[in-house]
Amino acid sequence: MTSRGARLSMNVFAAVLAVLALSPFLWLLVMSFKTNAEIFRFPPRLFFPVTFDNYAALWETDFRTSFANSLVVSVSSTVVSLAIGVPAAYALSRWTGSGGAAITLWILASRMAPPIAFTIPYFLAYRYLELLDTLTGLVVIYLTFNLSLVIWMMRPFYDQLPRSLEEAAWIDGATRWQGFTRIILPLSGPGLAATAILCFLFAWNDFFFALILTRTEAMTAPVAVVNFMNYEGWEWGRIAAGGTMIMLPVLVFSFVVRRYLVSGLTGGAIKG
Amino acid sequence: MAPSLAVLAVVTLLPSLYLLVTSFTPLNLTRPETQWDFSQPLISYGQLLQDERLANSVWVQVKLSFWTVTLQLLIGVALALLLNVKSKLLEALRTVFLIPMVLPPIVVAIIWKVIYTPDISPMHQALAAMGWNVPALITDPQWALTSIIIADTWEWFPFTMLMVLAALQMLPQELLDAAKVDGASPWQLTRHVTLPFIQGVLLVAGLFRLIDSIKAFPLIYILTDGGPGSLTEVTNYYSFQQAFNFSYLGFSSAITVVLLAATILLSWIIIRSVGWGTKID
Repeated sequence: MTSRGARLSMNVFAAVLAVLALSPFLWLLVMSFKTNAEIFRFPPRLFFPVTFDNYAALWETDFRTSFANSLVVSVSSTVVSLAIGVPAAYALSRWTGSGGAAITLWILASRMAPPIAFTIPYFLAYRYLELLDTLTGLVVIYLTFNLSLVIWMMRPFYDQLPRSLEEAAWIDGATRWQGFTRIILPLSGPGLAATAILCFLFAWNDFFFALILTRTEAMTAPVAVVNFMNYEGWEWGRIAAGGTMIMLPVLVFSFVVRRYLVSGLTGGAIKG
Repeated sequence: MAPSLAVLAVVTLLPSLYLLVTSFTPLNLTRPETQWDFSQPLISYGQLLQDERLANSVWVQVKLSFWTVTLQLLIGVALALLLNVKSKLLEALRTVFLIPMVLPPIVVAIIWKVIYTPDISPMHQALAAMGWNVPALITDPQWALTSIIIADTWEWFPFTMLMVLAALQMLPQELLDAAKVDGASPWQLTRHVTLPFIQGVLLVAGLFRLIDSIKAFPLIYILTDGGPGSLTEVTNYYSFQQAFNFSYLGFSSAITVVLLAATILLSWIIIRSVGWGTKID
């Protein structure tokens, strides 16, 4: 066993390291509560008059609409992905035919593909379908990664549920679909919740698809905040406030699902 | 159940096919008649081989991927070993260290834009106070790529850390005890017991990061826009420029098909190294 002293110093060392590692993040957070003069002040003061002006000013702009767009798209994407993906995950879990490895590859590659690989064909198709700059267009393209994510997360979960469960229901005269909705689905609670949150986060975090496929109407918050950077004279306070608002839901939700992050990102390659 | 798989096929396979088809045309958005022009199907692929800017972008990509994956693995393992002790504080810190990875990529890019902008950067101000006049790193040819590598490493070291921590939890205590009885030092324990145990996880974590590094976009878009010159222009970024700044979608599709093929190949390697698809039960 390590001695108490060594243990203590290790704790202190780790804590200092954590503060150092997170300082860039904390800086942005603090910056969002500073006046412009305070942002350019050197040396920075630890205690400064806290202002919410940046947030107030931000809320006066179109950022408000973009933030709402982000919410709508992320929630819709989550609902649609779960509705389609959960049955698919269950079906794949009970798959006995050949080609299992090929399907796994298909789903993993969909998750890992560079966004531009989907953006080009979707962009071309959306020009004809008139889906450019629409929320629907974003929800559909987000299926490329979220549908794969749902299958990826839920399939190992269903692998662990014994087949005898639904087989018993079939013997009692239930259809395949009833076996799924009445027996399997109610058992999926915790995994389903974690998957839903991850879906929301991936849709919420997207920047590339929204950058290309939206202009004004359907612009999401990450794209809107970047637009502040193109103005004459950088509005750092507002940019920091916008960044903080975008990361807030992410931080809360990630904390809730931190145990599922490993499997969410690697699909059970490593059990977390 | 089959319909749900059909949806996945429609949203992923069909567009991939369309991408492949487009890569056989010289599609230029300013000339609509080029969309279905298959008279010279391989013209874009021919250009790929001669395009020096593309060759440069591949080299930038190799440098970026090599350094970020290496640094993330090193830092991730070091931190995981440090934090893998039963202690309330350290367990809480594990969660705290995850923050950079879960932040929206665009926020990470903004954070580093602040750090790298001399006017408001605490780093630049501190260095200047110490008498060092450091150039703006993201516009400095010598530092631009390094500054991207630093930001990317910061964003993703938690991923490797998390995976290694998960693996360490499965390290059987008997293995460590047995080595200790044989008189192994802490360093020897790490070197000969722990590291061999986690090497499989390191391979998978590295592969995941490698694939992701091919997608690097928000950091480059916000920090350097591929510059100065094309010093930080990775292949993905170059393809984006060709498609959506210059409207050469045909050429860009050809580049992207190659990127997609690389992704599929690497995904396949992951599947092989984890052994998915060969059902255990």
